[in-house]
This record gives sequence, structure tokens and C-alpha cells, in this order.
Amino acid sequence: MNILVCVKQIPDPAGPQELNNDNTLKREGKLILDESDSYGVEIALQLRDTAGEGEVTLISMSPGEPSGLRTALAMGADKAIHVVDDTLHGADALSTAKVLAAAVQRAGDYTLVIAATESTDGYTGTVPAQLAEILGLPSVTFAKSIRVEGGKVHVDRQTEAGYDVVEADVPAVVTVTAGVVEPRYPSFKGIMAAKKKPLETLAVSDLGLDLSSWGQNIVSVEDAPSRAAGEKIEDDGEAYLKIVEFLEEQKVI
Amino acid sequence: MRFRFTDEQLELRDAVRDLLANECPASVVRAAWEGDMSGPDKVWAGLCDMGVVGLMATEAHGGLGLSDLDLTLILTEVGRAAAPGPLVETAVVAVPLLEKIGGSVAETWVPRVAQGESRVAVGLPGESLVLDASGADLLLLWHGDALHAVDPAEVSITVETSVDRSRRGGRVAWEPGPQPLAVGEEGRRLLDAALERAALGTAAMLLGLGRHLLDVTVTYATDRHQFGVPIGSQQAIKHKLADVAVALAFAEPLVHRAAYSLARGPALVDESARETTAVHVSMAKAAAGDAAELAARHALQCHGAIGYSFEHDLHLWMKRVWALAAAYGDARMHRERIARAIL
Repeated sequence: MNILVCVKQIPDPAGPQELNNDNTLKREGKLILDESDSYGVEIALQLRDTAGEGEVTLISMSPGEPSGLRTALAMGADKAIHVVDDTLHGADALSTAKVLAAAVQRAGDYTLVIAATESTDGYTGTVPAQLAEILGLPSVTFAKSIRVEGGKVHVDRQTEAGYDVVEADVPAVVTVTAGVVEPRYPSFKGIMAAKKKPLETLAVSDLGLDLSSWGQNIVSVEDAPSRAAGEKIEDDGEAYLKIVEFLEEQKVI
Repeated sequence: MRFRFTDEQLELRDAVRDLLANECPASVVRAAWEGDMSGPDKVWAGLCDMGVVGLMATEAHGGLGLSDLDLTLILTEVGRAAAPGPLVETAVVAVPLLEKIGGSVAETWVPRVAQGESRVAVGLPGESLVLDASGADLLLLWHGDALHAVDPAEVSITVETSVDRSRRGGRVAWEPGPQPLAVGEEGRRLLDAALERAALGTAAMLLGLGRHLLDVTVTYATDRHQFGVPIGSQQAIKHKLADVAVALAFAEPLVHRAAYSLARGPALVDESARETTAVHVSMAKAAAGDAAELAARHALQCHGAIGYSFEHDLHLWMKRVWALAAAYGDARMHRERIARAIL
């Protein structure tokens, strides 16, 4: 079973984050595999290993060295397609989906395209659905488990109340919720083998796309408002009533 | 010649750092103090899966066939996390020792130890206790220049508490059997190599412990305000921290050089090269031990009263430093060895 996994390389969220003059995130220095993508990689590896055949191919668009992709290759993915192009600086979600869709179409036969629910640096959460639409494939979101059987993908889809059992024809695009599996750590053997795995680097022109502008730009970025001071209540023996009233207002009780 | 670590060596270090950041927070070290080894056991399994424990095993035995030099940065990370467990004794001492002995002993034990299915404990002359002797499936013990493989079921082991309660040493009462693994000149060479490796591996861990102590103290001295300014802005504090940074920075290349000397195998065959390697290892252990002890002392003083409290994590690292600085020769013993070689 061939599985494609869309992964993103991002600046380490533990480090300081800076913005460029055009309000885009600075992506200099070493990029790491977005942690939210590691769950999709793990699920893909498990599906491949259960099937006993096939390949896991990574699809990514980002500037710079493929350091984050190497991590996923070290975990056990078989190969990677990396779209690197300066003209994509500041690309919006739809343009990103177009690029990823074009890369997916170069990747040969596949059963599933797996992606995270959203990235840790952008948080638009729209790319996988856009990707499915462009590819004309079913889109299943918030998967907590995935099984492929009889030409269909069966997904337990997380909801606020529990989970829905969803099935769709394959190929399909499935997004995976963070935390549903424990991603493996790359082994030393994996790290050493990752260097020899095929990694195709492509520019936008290689994909036959013409993407030099897009409709969406970041106009301004504001700091989150600081927390307002709380309200102090002197306890005259009846203060608990105020707490009850407050909780009722918030519809907590 | 390029005297720097390779990208691959740095990647292996980073992988271990990530593993330990997730699996070995201070709470795991503290739990080990209280006898709960579930966290440390999970860390050990993770290190085995990753390939750390079998790093120096041959590929035929499921290892990576790498050297002391490849392990050095990794041991520093393990020290930084104060991860409990006999990693130096297993990965750095026992695995190469078993490989050197070869034959069925190596075939039987190395793959199992590398994969974490079995535990091996090593008793080196000069150390009164055998680390993690209880729970080991195989004991490697010296009697004079004779190395023996001993079944733990046939000996009596009394567990002793270390100043660092996450380390469990065992006092082993045993009688040498009739068939040692090695004797005479061969036994002595194996012992020399084991002692050098134990001292160097411990030195690499001490660097990491010292680095962590410096890092947490710098953070504390930056956060903690007194008289309206961070305490770290006062010379009395910042000079102490600068002294620690200098001591660690000077110790680090000595550790790396000793690893380089040890990794270049001939050092253990050729007599003069062996002496040079011994001097390099002693310089590394003395400097790393001193630097880590300085880091522990100043960390405690800069933290003030809170550093003395049992509930604060500082002492977990500090007491590991005390235990390791004394293990496999303290700074004084190693300085005497250097003096004997060069004077």
C-alpha cells in the first residue's frame, strides 16, 4: 500500500519566533519536522507495515534544507518530494494546496494521502480539505484510527462527543489528530539510512504550475491582548453566592 | 584533517537529546530515588531501541560498529538529563569487552544486551560496588588479572545506597570459578581498556551534568530578582557562573581528545600510545570532574536556600556529580597518574 504523507518543516517552536517585514514567519536556520505531522508519519508507517508492502512518500513545501524531512525518513518513510522555490515565499493556504496537489500527482499510485489537522506555525487548518478538493478525492478529517479494507478506508473520526465511524473510497485524503499514536523515535540505523533515501527537490516550474501571486496577504500582526485584572470580592460570608452567579453566567453550572 | 564532529554524530546526539527531553524529565530521576524504576526502565528501552546501548557492538551482533568517539556526545546528553541507569558500564565497558572476548560469550550476550533483553553488570577493581548488580543477568568480574563471567544466581548480592539514590550499587560476594574468560596479559589488557573507557564515559557524562547545572543556575539567576535587579547582574553571582562556564569549556576538548585517542584502537596495543591515551583519559576525567563539582557547588550557592531543599531538583544532579566525580578514579588519582607519566 503506497501512502503519501504531507509534512511541514517549521522553525523550532521552542525557539524565538520572528517575523519578516511582510509579516511572514522567518524561516531561517534549521527547520524541524512539525510535531503534529509526526502522528501522520507514524500512522502511515504502521499501515505500510501491516500491509506488508508499499512505500511511504513524504510530500513537503518549504524553503531551506530538508532537515525535517530527514527526521521523517529516519523514522522509516521511504522517500520524499520536497518543493523548494523562493517564489513561494508568503504563499497562502490555497496556493500551498495547489503545490502539494501537483506534487501528489507526480508521486505515482497511492491509496491514501495523510496530513495533520493543522500546522503548528500557520494553524489555518484548511490545506488538507483544499488538497482533497483539487485532487477530486474524498476528505475525511480528525482521524483517530485508520484501516484500509476492501477498497475503502475506515476511519474513526473524533468528535466532541466521541467518534463517528466513517468510510470512504480510496484514494482519499485523511487528516490525523495529534496525540492519537505515539510516534517512534528515529533509531541510529534509521538516521544513517535516511541519508541514502531518495529525496527529490523540485521547483514550481517542475510541477507545471504558474504561481507567482495569490490573493491573500498578511496585513498586520497584533500581540494577543494582555489579561485584564480580575475582580476582587471581600468575603462577608456570602461571597460564595457571587461565585455561583459567575459560574452560572458562564454556563458552567 | 577536520577535527570536528561529523554531521551524523551531531544528529545522533540530537536524537538522544529529543528522546531524553520527552522520556526523562526530572520527575523520572526523582521517581528513581524513591525506588520507582518504571520511568528509567522506559528510558533504557528507548536507548536500546534507538541503538545507543549497542552502538559499539559489531553489526553481526545487531550493533552499529561505532566507536568511543561516536558515543561521547551521546553520553554528555545522558548526563545532562541525569538519566539513571548503567549506560557507561553497559554500552562503553561491557559491550566492547564482550566483543573483544568474542566467541560464544559475545554471540550469546551482546545481541541481548544491545536490544535490552538482558542486563549485564561490570565490577571493576577499585570500585567497591557493582552498579546495578541486582537485576543483572550476567556479571563480569575481575579477580586479579582474571576476568570471570558470573551467574548472578550463584552469588550473594547486597544492595547498598549511594549518595545518589538513583544509583544502586551491589556488594557482590563471590568465588572465582575454574574457567575465567581471560587471564594474564590478556586479562590485564582488557582491564586497562575497561578502566580507561569507564573513566572517559563518566567524564563525558560529568560534562553534561555540569552543563545542565550551569544552565538551570543561569536561568534562576536571571529570573530571581533582589534589590530590584536579577541576582545574576551582581558580580558575586556572575563571576561564579563565568568560572563554571570556563571550567566546562576547558574540560570539553580534553574529553573529546581522550575519546579520539581511545577510538584509534592502536592505543590499546602499542605501549607508548597506550600511555599517551591513559594520560589523555586522566586529563579528561580530572578536568570534567573538577568542572562538574565546581558547577554543583556554585549552583547550590547561587540558588540560595531553595537549592538545599529536597523538593528542589538541583540536588538530583548535584549528587550524581558527587557520585561520578569519585567513580573510576577521582581527580586526585587521575592527576597522580598524569604526574607519573610525565615527570
